[in-house]
Amino acid sequence: MPILSAQGLKKYYGKEPNIVRALDGVDIAVESGEFVAVVGMSGSGKSTLLHMLGGLDKPTDGKVIVDGYELTKMSDEQLAIFRRRNVGFVFQNYNLVPILNVYENIVLPIELDGNTVDEIFINEIIDMLGLSEKRDNLPNMLSGGQQQRVAIARSLAAKPSILLADEPTGNLDTKTSQDVLGVLKMTSTKFHQTIVMITHNEQITQLADRVIHIEDGKIVREGRG
Amino acid sequence: MALAVTVIIAIAVCFLTVLFSYRYIRKNFDSIDRVLDSVLARNTDLSLEAAADSRISKLTHKAVKIIQMSEMDISKIRQEKEIIQSFISDMSHQMKTPLSSVAMYTDLLLEGNITEAEGQEFLLRIKNGTEKLQWMMDSLVKMSRLEVGAIELSPVPLGIKQTIADSISTVYGAAARKNIFIHTAYFEDVLLLHDRKWTSEAITNILENAIKYSLPDNKIDISLETLPIYTKIRITDYGIGIAPDEWNSIFKRFYRGRNAKGVDGAGLGLYLASLIFEKQGGYILVDSKPGIYTTFSMFLQNCKK
Repeated sequence: MPILSAQGLKKYYGKEPNIVRALDGVDIAVESGEFVAVVGMSGSGKSTLLHMLGGLDKPTDGKVIVDGYELTKMSDEQLAIFRRRNVGFVFQNYNLVPILNVYENIVLPIELDGNTVDEIFINEIIDMLGLSEKRDNLPNMLSGGQQQRVAIARSLAAKPSILLADEPTGNLDTKTSQDVLGVLKMTSTKFHQTIVMITHNEQITQLADRVIHIEDGKIVREGRG
Repeated sequence: MALAVTVIIAIAVCFLTVLFSYRYIRKNFDSIDRVLDSVLARNTDLSLEAAADSRISKLTHKAVKIIQMSEMDISKIRQEKEIIQSFISDMSHQMKTPLSSVAMYTDLLLEGNITEAEGQEFLLRIKNGTEKLQWMMDSLVKMSRLEVGAIELSPVPLGIKQTIADSISTVYGAAARKNIFIHTAYFEDVLLLHDRKWTSEAITNILENAIKYSLPDNKIDISLETLPIYTKIRITDYGIGIAPDEWNSIFKRFYRGRNAKGVDGAGLGLYLASLIFEKQGGYILVDSKPGIYTTFSMFLQNCKK
């Protein structure tokens, strides 16, 4: 049973004749524990797809089913709670809260859900991602690679089953990209997570189990990695 | 009189409190019971109940996760079974060709009626066949030990310099025969989490490939670079190269590159190497321009300071 699937997914912006078909009938199924890379030019609809899969945006037509929940049937409030518990996000520009230190940024999603922080687990993540010495630093004191590692730690903190990453290495140089991606792969294996990652870097797709190519809002090619 | 009324009211309040608490607790227990029933029935369709901001919803959410985890384990076991099945069928298929040629030439020799030159030729072919089988057997033993998990890799903090040196000395003879010079750029030794014996085996496989797919009188470059989390070992050869559309396939079991036809091999070396790195929390990336160069970058975790 796929953990994440979309059927006949469409997202249109504007009206005829100036309609923009960002997604034009996408079917996708991701198995639990799989690492899928989505590759496409900018404007191909890959980010829109990721936003739909994570319940950040609603489709014009079609269904998204994650973990057995049909996102397209949920209210905004239910979606917010769903995302907090089930999905971890990693973005190109890290999206860290500038006035919170590394530790506070990482535990933010847990505290938002009103849960107590599993200190042992959080320390394990911080240690794994090589952030032990940076715990009390503010994000602007960190390098790009370090900031992205904090973002990965934050996305892992609530133990989500799915991790959605939108160009996680888009702002990083080749070497740092390789470093950060290794971390992403290592933690997903360790914590049994499913990853959908958007990228335009062909080198990086070598780490994925499957590569999906998207063009003009449609899947054009799919291959085992 | 007033006292009696007060007492009666007090008793009534107590009674109602007990009644309502009893009902409330019962209701909660019933909800928990329903959630547990769903777990027992492996019913993940607890649907929207899990997406509200209440205590029962959090409980439901965790129940759903438990069901999913057990389902994930089951599907993982099923996948592993499929891998083993396909492996057995692949392997038996691969062994058939050399084995049948050994059998055929042995028969011809037994029948007699052949010239001495033919006899020599047949013996050589038998030797080739048995060598190939021997080599496959060796790889098979290594693989089965790794895959079945009979041998657990034990990554410990060790200097990587010795490990790389071990690999170079293993392939030194093969390199010398083709007059290929292995050049290692100077690097400070670093402690990396790895299992020396198996890691050296993996690096040896990469080096053997580099030698195999290079023309004579060439060189191979080895360098090391430490990143924040990983250290990268790079091995570059200037041989035939690998086209980008094959990068994702070359680490698969029994895959032979399109350029590799005519060169002996079974498609196991890179597979084994990537398996070894993965088991230690590392990974391998390839980069190549056909006809110009091929670089394998192997990543191992740094030791925490």
